[in-house]
Amino acid sequence: MKKYINKELPEGIRYISRSEKEFPEKLLELSDCPDGIYVRGKLPDPKKKTVAIVGARMCSAYGRATASYFARVLAANDVQIISGLALGIDGAAHEGALMAGGATFAVMAGDVSVCYPRGHIELYEQMRKTGGILSEEPCGCPPLPRLFPKRNRLISILSDVVLVVEAKEKSGSLITADFAAEQGRDLFAVPGRLEDELSKGCNELISQGAGIAISPERMLEIMGEKVKKSDNSESFSENVLARQENMVYSCLSLQPKTLEDLCKATKLSITSVTESVMLLQLQGLVKEIGRNRYVRSV
Amino acid sequence: MFSSVLSADVRGITGMPIWVETDVSDGLPGLVMVGYLASAVRESADRVRTAMKNTGVSIPPKKITVNLSPADTKKEGTGFDLAIAVSLMCSLGMFPKECIEKVMFLGELGLDGTVKKIRGVLPMAELAKELGCAVCVIPKDNEAEGRIVKGIACVGVENLRETLNRIITGDYSQEDISLEIIKETQETNPDFSEIRGQEGVKQAAKLAAAGRLNLLMVGPPGSGKTMIARRIPTILPQMSEEESLEVTKIYSVCGLLPEGVALMKDRPFRAPHHTISVSAMVGGGRQQVMPGEISLSNHGCLFLDEITEIPRNVLESLRQPLEDRCVQISRVSGNAVFPANTMLIAAMNPCRCGYYPDMNKCHCNAGEIHRYLNKISMPFIDRMDLCVEAPRVAFEELTGEESGETSKKIREKVLRAHQMQTERYQGSAYRFNGDVKGSDVEEYFRVGKKQKKLLEDAFENLNLTARSYHKILKVARTAADLECEKDIEVSHILQAICYRNIDRKFWAV
Repeated sequence: MKKYINKELPEGIRYISRSEKEFPEKLLELSDCPDGIYVRGKLPDPKKKTVAIVGARMCSAYGRATASYFARVLAANDVQIISGLALGIDGAAHEGALMAGGATFAVMAGDVSVCYPRGHIELYEQMRKTGGILSEEPCGCPPLPRLFPKRNRLISILSDVVLVVEAKEKSGSLITADFAAEQGRDLFAVPGRLEDELSKGCNELISQGAGIAISPERMLEIMGEKVKKSDNSESFSENVLARQENMVYSCLSLQPKTLEDLCKATKLSITSVTESVMLLQLQGLVKEIGRNRYVRSV
Repeated sequence: MFSSVLSADVRGITGMPIWVETDVSDGLPGLVMVGYLASAVRESADRVRTAMKNTGVSIPPKKITVNLSPADTKKEGTGFDLAIAVSLMCSLGMFPKECIEKVMFLGELGLDGTVKKIRGVLPMAELAKELGCAVCVIPKDNEAEGRIVKGIACVGVENLRETLNRIITGDYSQEDISLEIIKETQETNPDFSEIRGQEGVKQAAKLAAAGRLNLLMVGPPGSGKTMIARRIPTILPQMSEEESLEVTKIYSVCGLLPEGVALMKDRPFRAPHHTISVSAMVGGGRQQVMPGEISLSNHGCLFLDEITEIPRNVLESLRQPLEDRCVQISRVSGNAVFPANTMLIAAMNPCRCGYYPDMNKCHCNAGEIHRYLNKISMPFIDRMDLCVEAPRVAFEELTGEESGETSKKIREKVLRAHQMQTERYQGSAYRFNGDVKGSDVEEYFRVGKKQKKLLEDAFENLNLTARSYHKILKVARTAADLECEKDIEVSHILQAICYRNIDRKFWAV
């Protein structure tokens, strides 16, 4: 470790050792507290509440929307969002927090200067400016598989509350949940249908005593925060849409629908359905996931 | 005595004249064959000798030399047997040389003297006509095929004895072939109305057929991608005479003409298995350059199922033929240009397990999905104009009562769209919207202000790439053609964007 410390760090990256005043106090609670921490951007503000939002990488559109929604409302109420910058739920949580203009932090498994996964480079760049990227691993360390569970303990210890949005029965997010329980952090899980694979892990957590995340507002209340702002996304009135688009829009939900489903539900011709769904998509009301699968965008 | 008889060989899909020269002279008895011959031709000596013996023609113990001219090109196949026999009989003085002037002989001989079926009769008979022959003697089994060529008497013979009689008597009269022999392929094709639901895919198929565009279908296993692909030839208009002839020639060369079929009237549909090799796909071969699947599907459809499983080099080899609409194959044994004017229909699963984005079924992780999609190269994807999802069909839908449009009805619409395109491209090299290339795209597919604004919006919101712009215009123009609209309307562009091509970032994992 020493050889890295003495070396000159790349620009914009700081190393904060545990003896320094700035070092996050929460980390000291850990029995295996790292000697120091590498930061790109800011460190989480210790005076503010922090919520970790974690979940499956291969999540559903519903999960993504839920993570983004929770992060958005929490961030709008001055709560910091912390996660792992992974694909799926993690990314959606960061995105939601950024949308609300809140501070959001990512704990990386490897080098802080390397964006992993590559696909989140835009998020990474934004977070570097408004929030922060943290890691206990030195620069030049690749994101090795064994480092991920180790990284998860940092995500949970740095937060006050851990929220699991979507997780299969065997999911890395459950490791974070276990750490949270060990470290005495509050644990919440988003409930789901019994038959959904991606909700099995969350439902299991709930049955073991995790809090049920029914809304971000309720979470804020439980955390003892006042709800200043509710969901600040522009509420959208369906009245502005033409009749045909309205019909198609009303058939859409967070469950992906195919053109086929829409045709059947609306009894419109295929050409009208494609036209309407594309218009909705261009207006940003509908998102396409996979080929010709549409969901409402939230 | 010396004699010379005209025969022919096939190069690519055109005939090449071969003169069979025979000389009988005194000397050490034996039959020598020269002229750069492959072993199948060399073995011809024994077949000819035995066939003649069994026909009752005895060969005197003299020195016989047979030369196949031009002697510098490699000769393949068994189609020279009949010509060699005739030439030999002429040399033996069984009939005067004048009897076989302006007559081409094609056919393989059996040991008992029967004349057997050969490949490539159609292009060779055409050659005979071009060379000014009056008669082309061909195997009886190939007679229907030969009769397509007008302006020359193609006479089918059953055995060497009959050939000899006809030569001596000069009786090259053709039997009236009953229509049963020159029958056209029957319309036993499946119909579009058999597919229930799948409206999106059907519409994309219609667009593809109307503009001769390449279609990519993405969907889980068992969603009917193959079923739809098989029905696409049924909504394409009938082939023109010219197209039929070209297709028949290719099938003739490959020996793939169905029994008793003279002219291929149905558009070909080829669905090679994904283990196919490069040579089988684009053409090639060690001894004789033969057309590949892309040429066999000329003027029809080439359906590639599971394109992610097709070896990468095979897919890449398709890029140039898809662009140029023909393929030039060069081998040591010769060069050949084959037409490759085909419509490509490809199908693939969205991920390895096939169920993405159904999270309850899909077990792939993001990396796996990415790797799966990466198996197809971007340049290949670029050749696809339309991309549509084929969703899994529910059981009740498969067994439901209502049925969609029939192929016949759709074909009428497609035909009208084709007519609009014929008018538009009069005087240019293009025939269909799918053919238009480069800067001509913006020339032919002009859009109004409103439409342009929409396209710009789409680019910003949907992260489209510049290369998808032309494709969207092509598809939009085709959608307008299908509706017989003169101008591209907003609705057509919306449709085109909906079926736009995938790009790498597409699967939003």
